[in-house]
Amino acid sequence: MPDPIETTARAALAEVLPQDLPPQAIDLDAELDHLGLTSLNKVLFLTSVCDRTQVGLHHFTEHDLAAMRTLGQVVEALSRHAEVS
Amino acid sequence: MSVINQLVGAPPRPGSRLTFTRLGRTESWDLTEVWELSGRVAGYLLGLGIRPGDRIGVLAANSLEWVLLDLAALRIKAVTAGFDPGKFDASGTELVARYGLAVLFTDQHQTAGRVRPIVAVRDLPPLDADLPSAVWEPGDTPALKFTSGSSGPAKSLLASAGSMDSSLAAVQDIFAHGPGDDLFVFLPLSLLQQRYWVYSAFVFGHDVTVSTYEAAFAGLRATRPTVVMGVPGFYETTRAHLEATAARTGASPSEAAVEVFGDRIRYLWTGSAPAAPATLRYFGRAGLPIFEGYGLNETCIVAKNHPGAHRPGSVGRVLPGKEVLIDLDGVINIRSEFPVATRYEHAGPGESEAMFRPGGIVHTGDLGHLDEDGYLFVHGRADDVIVLENGKKIIVRPIEERLKACPVIEDCVVTNPSQRQLVAIVSPATHPVDARLIAAALRQANAALDHDEQIAKAVLADRFTVDNGLLGSQFKPRRKQIEARYRRLVIDPEEGIRA
Repeated sequence: MPDPIETTARAALAEVLPQDLPPQAIDLDAELDHLGLTSLNKVLFLTSVCDRTQVGLHHFTEHDLAAMRTLGQVVEALSRHAEVS
Repeated sequence: MSVINQLVGAPPRPGSRLTFTRLGRTESWDLTEVWELSGRVAGYLLGLGIRPGDRIGVLAANSLEWVLLDLAALRIKAVTAGFDPGKFDASGTELVARYGLAVLFTDQHQTAGRVRPIVAVRDLPPLDADLPSAVWEPGDTPALKFTSGSSGPAKSLLASAGSMDSSLAAVQDIFAHGPGDDLFVFLPLSLLQQRYWVYSAFVFGHDVTVSTYEAAFAGLRATRPTVVMGVPGFYETTRAHLEATAARTGASPSEAAVEVFGDRIRYLWTGSAPAAPATLRYFGRAGLPIFEGYGLNETCIVAKNHPGAHRPGSVGRVLPGKEVLIDLDGVINIRSEFPVATRYEHAGPGESEAMFRPGGIVHTGDLGHLDEDGYLFVHGRADDVIVLENGKKIIVRPIEERLKACPVIEDCVVTNPSQRQLVAIVSPATHPVDARLIAAALRQANAALDHDEQIAKAVLADRFTVDNGLLGSQFKPRRKQIEARYRRLVIDPEEGIRA
């Protein structure tokens, strides 16, 4: 059964990418920059995925956000806090 | 009395607040507390030997210390020079030398000579003596500000107190910010105009909330501001998000907008670049009035739509103290009662003369017209400019010229579909194309360009010709047609040759 955080994150990311890409086709290791995500869209994506997974954005600092460079890193960071929230 | 002199002349009335909201942390102070803390910083700066006219640099993300240093500088008639850490790659020591700074405060973990950590100004003891009184004359210059150069380091200019007063007073006349308002600022305080909203809070008695770019959306919802100070890239991205949210959840545009902006918005401010008409209409329909304006770093705010005078498609009526002169080529020239500056402090040869003309006139390079009711319409740039979502303007022509100087590239157009990364649509000089040579040409060009100006990738196009519609009759590339024809390749991350 797919990880619900990963599924949600894939869907949220697909919404903000400039090209039509099925959520399941997004490579977890692809750099978000290379997928064409602007810095503001990255912020929107992370805000949105935190909302949908009920992981508080307050767990992260601006520095943490900058360090999340791939979808896989986002899923990992959210999963870490989902376990304790 | 001038707005700036009201600001530095006496403490504010209690009851208005300055709030900083970052990810995971929100702090708030009454403006009287901020005033008192800024006095401590002013005393500290005097103790460092800072005197009127000395330049104080701040290389830091938005923070309370940023505001305290700026207010302190105003209170002792020093000059604030704000540097956005995302834009300036130079070290603190290099900035001190390049811009003649007496001291630079930074959050970039650098300490050397005149470079000090910005946290040094946070826990200072109370003043044990009154500060000397400070009065700013219109020609005095409280701020060194930076503007995009066509190549090389950013240009700078010293902004006059008269121009700051004139702009603050004119904006207050049309928007009447006051008690009950909370202005939301998330763009860098290194931009003088973002600091205006802090000055406005002190003088006109309203709240101001300062965020970081990363915390903007979380901060908006938590703060419920009445005014948001944004740029077109921000609103266009937000519109796409609202449309996606509405499609996913079935919410109406206004319901989706309340989720993002809160339920107290009086209006949205947009400036620095032209906004897409569809985006302006979208927010209007969602119940959030959005007002576009016009101005350059060299002119400050020239025109602004507002609740009392709004004509869609225009950038508003010309503000008091400004006069718009359209020259024979259709280029907008601005005459100011109180010019921002009459020259650049740092710029390439000829750049001051090209922008600043005799008689306090600024040659904007923008094309436009005034209608019969005095509304200004801007048609575009005489030179092509790309505006990133952070508001930075990239003049593409020198970048294109640099690429075309490479023997493997016959012609090119630089575009930015993501508002972040620049992409070159290249007409190669040779066929078949050797991708390695194109990549080498990109790397060679990038080596000489500022960070924001660098090309992320190139996509290969057919040869630009008049016959295929990609060159105009003057043999100039037809930018819009080229961008439209190659848009799929430009936005597809799998396509193109990376630097």
